[in-house]
Amino acid sequence: MVKKKGMRLSFCKGDMLVIFFVTMLAVLIGVVFLIWTGRDRGNTVVVYREGKKVQELPLYVDGEILIENSYTNKLVVKQGKAAIVESDCPGMDCVHSGWIQGKGRSLVCLPNRVEIRIEGEEESEVDFIVR
Amino acid sequence: MNRTKVNQITLCAILVSMALVLSYIEHFIPLQMLIPLPGVKLGLANIVTLMALFFLGTKSAFTILILRCILGSVFGGGISGLAFSLIGGICAMTVMYIFKNCKGISIYGVSMLGAAAHNIGQILVAIFLMGSVYVIGYLPYLLVVSVFTGLATGSICAGVFRILKTNTQITQN
Repeated sequence: MVKKKGMRLSFCKGDMLVIFFVTMLAVLIGVVFLIWTGRDRGNTVVVYREGKKVQELPLYVDGEILIENSYTNKLVVKQGKAAIVESDCPGMDCVHSGWIQGKGRSLVCLPNRVEIRIEGEEESEVDFIVR
Repeated sequence: MNRTKVNQITLCAILVSMALVLSYIEHFIPLQMLIPLPGVKLGLANIVTLMALFFLGTKSAFTILILRCILGSVFGGGISGLAFSLIGGICAMTVMYIFKNCKGISIYGVSMLGAAAHNIGQILVAIFLMGSVYVIGYLPYLLVVSVFTGLATGSICAGVFRILKTNTQITQN
């Protein structure tokens, strides 16, 4: 039942290959994700609770809301960025994630099953040519 | 025959409790302060999966994995926690099982691949639970982190295995 004879216990060349492979995979996924979401800054902050859209906030109007589910997240939108600044969830990863900006970026609070995502408004680009 | 069976069951039970303790201890390591991403952790319980995979065989390793996930969620993880740890754990175990007899890779490589697979599994669960594909945006970061956490747990495993290698009592099972 025991098959540990062929096991290497010291770092070897194959491990470098593994590091290379995993890093390349990360870069690949990252690049694909960036291309997919584009360089658009977005204009709407959308709140999803358990996968369903529950609220939309304009990205360029400062404001804050409370998102309630199993826990409560306090979402702040300020100067085109969004962050969860307070939360009573365990771990508080969402708060530690800090401020996000740019279309496609998202904040996730897993215990609360909440995702906050920056999106572009549907097909109404003409309204927003501000330079 | 009977004796080895008892040995096996006892060893399984010890490994399950070890895994639970390790994942509890993990909460006190403030890795998330360093890398503020959801789902980032050292994956110390992976040490137990690796150990079980090598010393007890696939069947026991699988049993230990399922038991520790269920018990872990009872002690504080909840149902969504169960989904994350179970799918992540199964992904990690499958990949480590495939690569454990691969000649060119040491325990460090196996551990890193396991950590990476764990993260991919967790992201899949997150996509499903959150109903959002955008969660994939976290995966590149998690994969890079998994190289380092995999190296860390791999080095712990290497140390443990070296000590166990001299102890024939356990390897006889």
